[in-house]
Amino acid sequence: MIELQHVTKLYPASGRPALDDVSTEIDKGEFVFLIGSSGSGKSTFLRLLLKEDDPTRGTVTVNGKTLNTMSKWQVPKLRRTMGCVFQDFRLLRNRTVAENVAFALEVINKPHRTIKRVVPEVLEMVGLEGKAARLPHELSGGEQQRVAIARAFVNRPLVLLADEPTGNLDPETSEGIMLLLERINRTGTTVIMATHDYHIVDSMRRRVIELNGGQITRDQTRGVYGVGR
Amino acid sequence: MRVNFVLSEVATGLRRNLTMTVAMILTTAISLGLMGTGLLIAGMISDMKEIYYDKVQVSIFLADDVTDEQRGAIEAQLADSPEVQSYLYESKAEAYERFQQQFSQQPELVENTPADALPESFRVELVNPERYEVIAAEFPNGQNGVDQVRDEGDFLDRLFSLLNGARNATIAVAVVQALAALLLISNTIQLAAFNRRNETNIMRLVGASRWYTQLPFILEAALAGLIGALLAVGGLVLTKVLFVDKTLAGPIKAGIIPPVDWGAIATISPIIAGAGVGLAAVAAYVTLRLYVRL
Repeated sequence: MIELQHVTKLYPASGRPALDDVSTEIDKGEFVFLIGSSGSGKSTFLRLLLKEDDPTRGTVTVNGKTLNTMSKWQVPKLRRTMGCVFQDFRLLRNRTVAENVAFALEVINKPHRTIKRVVPEVLEMVGLEGKAARLPHELSGGEQQRVAIARAFVNRPLVLLADEPTGNLDPETSEGIMLLLERINRTGTTVIMATHDYHIVDSMRRRVIELNGGQITRDQTRGVYGVGR
Repeated sequence: MRVNFVLSEVATGLRRNLTMTVAMILTTAISLGLMGTGLLIAGMISDMKEIYYDKVQVSIFLADDVTDEQRGAIEAQLADSPEVQSYLYESKAEAYERFQQQFSQQPELVENTPADALPESFRVELVNPERYEVIAAEFPNGQNGVDQVRDEGDFLDRLFSLLNGARNATIAVAVVQALAALLLISNTIQLAAFNRRNETNIMRLVGASRWYTQLPFILEAALAGLIGALLAVGGLVLTKVLFVDKTLAGPIKAGIIPPVDWGAIATISPIIAGAGVGLAAVAAYVTLRLYVRL
């Protein structure tokens, strides 16, 4: 599903590699926590999977396609199979909840009929039925993140990448978001979530990949945030 | 491609950067207007060459006290000369008539010119217009009833080099303006892309094609280019109606300079529009490729 082989990523501005000879494999339908301190390489890991950046060395494979050799015009096709959620939600402020979700489908040329059908479905799934006409600033942080998740999931991606999705939310709201991500995972979508939230990691007991200085220092199938905690 | 979506993006983009958009449109309009003027002058020059060059090449003006014999001798010499293709005699009366016609718009000038002030002359067309020197040598100035031999071609050359200079200067300014317009377009597109970075970032992440993401920006520039071109054409029309047709009415009527007709403007308008739209779109595309991550 996803495979990194001896991946090293150097940024020109920094002497230390952001990722240093990282090799790992993530299967379809897995739920993976990516943990590690700031600057440990979590974001770089996610960026490489999206082909926002190319590795300096090594190969990245997603859905059987090697990203290194993928041409530029094929990148949109790759990204249509992936959903992204961020700490800061990244909603369009002047569009309603439904329009924000529909936007993701409009710009990849989905027919109107399909959009009309699937947007309410996905809003119901994330628990925002009845709020379709609200603007983002009329929603709570947790609700905004649900909109972002709805947008990431509406095209039924094979992989959902979440970069600290609970970073701006209180523990209770975070729990609701995690339940949602778990539900998405149960539909067969691979979920990779970078996080600092040890409560969440400890309570979910899923696979944990810990990065430290750009290297994988731990990879546990039912891990917790800190060893010996 | 969702037409409504693209068009609403274009409209939003133009509205958000209103001042930049106006600047972009105006510079484009000035540049294209000058380009159009240059093209019109070029057309005018070739029209004028047709009017003038084929006619008179050398004029032999006769002295006031020329005798019939001298006139006859000159005519015979012209008739025999292998250099001469054809010639035409113009009497004082004919010269005055033509003068009246040419300056019909300036009656004071005509009134103040006595009927016999204009010299009689032979208008000579040469086999080879470059051979003016030969004719000039055959008819020395101030002798045998010849007052002056004038190479009209020489005068026309100077006139046309002046007009060519005007055309070149206009086009040069147009090019400089075009450069300014292109830089402004590039700047506006960068601003527009920055203003809409949230949208384009999301589009990029959800897998919108590059083309889909770029098209609104390119259309935005192309639309501004088109509006600029329309303004430029409007400017040319106004120049024709208010300046050329009014101020230059006399010389045009007299056939000294050719009129700027609607046909010429109709011919260059699509050129101007094409140049405006094309250059703006290319500038936007290049800007997006070079400076903007989409």
